[in-house]
Amino acid sequence: MPKYMFVYRGGHEGMEHTSPEEMQQVMQRWMDWIHAGIEAGWMLDGGAALKPEGAIVNPDLSVFDGPFTESKELVGGYSMVEASDLAAAIELAKSSPMPQSGGTVEVRELPNLGMQNE
Amino acid sequence: MKQPENQLVEHFFRHESANLVAVLTRAFGIRRIDLVEDMVQVAMLEAMHAWKQSGVPEKPAAWIHRVAKNRILDALRREKIHEKAIALSGQSIEGEESVVDQWLEEEQLPDSLLRMIFVCCHPSLERKTQIALTLKTLCGFGISEIARGLMLPEETVKKRIQRAKNSLATANVSLELPDPSQLTQRLDVVHDVLYLMFNEGYSTSHGTEPIRADICEEAARLCHLLCESTCSLPATRALLALMLFHAARFDARTDEHGAIVLLEDQNRTQWDRCLIVSAQSWLAQSKSDQPTTFHLEAAIAMQHCVSPSLAETDWQTIVLLYSRLLQLRESPVYTLNRAIALGQAGETGEALSQLQSLQSCEEMQNYFLLDCAFSHIYELEGNTQAAIDACLIALSKAVVPHEKELLERKLRKLTDQGR
Repeated sequence: MPKYMFVYRGGHEGMEHTSPEEMQQVMQRWMDWIHAGIEAGWMLDGGAALKPEGAIVNPDLSVFDGPFTESKELVGGYSMVEASDLAAAIELAKSSPMPQSGGTVEVRELPNLGMQNE
Repeated sequence: MKQPENQLVEHFFRHESANLVAVLTRAFGIRRIDLVEDMVQVAMLEAMHAWKQSGVPEKPAAWIHRVAKNRILDALRREKIHEKAIALSGQSIEGEESVVDQWLEEEQLPDSLLRMIFVCCHPSLERKTQIALTLKTLCGFGISEIARGLMLPEETVKKRIQRAKNSLATANVSLELPDPSQLTQRLDVVHDVLYLMFNEGYSTSHGTEPIRADICEEAARLCHLLCESTCSLPATRALLALMLFHAARFDARTDEHGAIVLLEDQNRTQWDRCLIVSAQSWLAQSKSDQPTTFHLEAAIAMQHCVSPSLAETDWQTIVLLYSRLLQLRESPVYTLNRAIALGQAGETGEALSQLQSLQSCEEMQNYFLLDCAFSHIYELEGNTQAAIDACLIALSKAVVPHEKELLERKLRKLTDQGR
């Protein structure tokens, strides 16, 4: 089955006013969703969150600090999933808590290069 | 990938934020409470972001504590205000860092929380502000939750809390525990705040938002914290007993639709036995030569909790306890309750004359519960028509929808009886 990477962007705008209660709920939704995916087998790896700060190395080898862009375009994290085709992967992405919090999920297929571990 | 068996206990973020605010405010002073709160928020957002995918770390509290502490130290350094902080506290940042670590230790934490209780219940603040600030700072509620819980506009809550913080910062209120000469006086205020906080959550006149049960829980948690500390008084333990007796009946007070169930109709098997036993034990530990209103109210609540039914309740004792309460504090509400207990004890004539005496009381005139009480006593006397009339008067007064519903239900029952 093809593998896909979900790239999560944004979704934390305005979170600075989120109450602890809501924070816990948001996190719980994510953990529940990822765990359900692991149980069902399509979530290969919940992945990890990426910290907003970092650096950009340019072709001229100059280095810039983050933030790279507006926070809504910032990659916040990724997960690895398995699905029969892109349409199925998109359905999985729709079921994630991301759209609810105003962020986007980019769905990218990992090409099958006929490697042994495929 | 950590499995969700280490999912966070309920209210984890709320309680950790309160713990951190208490400890960091103690370390960096009340003047920095806004900075502290911001950094705690940042730390929690970071935690949420990092954990939602990769799972909760082994020691989640320690993780957040470390991040929050570092963020605040960074902020102090960055703003180059740490010299000032050092000058004020007489400690270096490194000194403060180790102090924070020490205060964040589990056994040290209650001490910071206690100090914060006395700050939030500072006598210079208004009662309602004290409650709002306590909910925000010690219970980790968000502004909108407090607003919903206290039935106030968000803007009001926000302003009230900000004003309180400013005035505490200006007065440079210290986070010391009150010294023994002041303890009783300061504790009295804390008791009143916790009592009112519990009542805000418990009161039946505001419907059944789940957040209100949380407020009760938090009031009891803080009271328990006080009871476990060296600065509690017998009244503190009596107050905790009172809260626990009420909390034991919490679930039975509403039906599955959220409608209020009266004491007479409550399913007593739903009452929480564990809480009742625990309440009894706290009441036993609250013995004092000078019982307070909390002692007497707890004793009344206990009478209800230990009675197998409404009819088998020791109403004579309850009447006596209300009489003693009235000796301590004149209150039309006590008088009203005493009259109802008198009626239940069979002295309906005396009950009615007590209620009549309340009719001249301004506070009671527009209070529908007085008419409800009349209705109840008439019903006990078997005077259904008079009971219906009193119920109709109660309905004509200002009542919130679910109380109206309760009264209409009562009216239907009485009319059926009258046929």
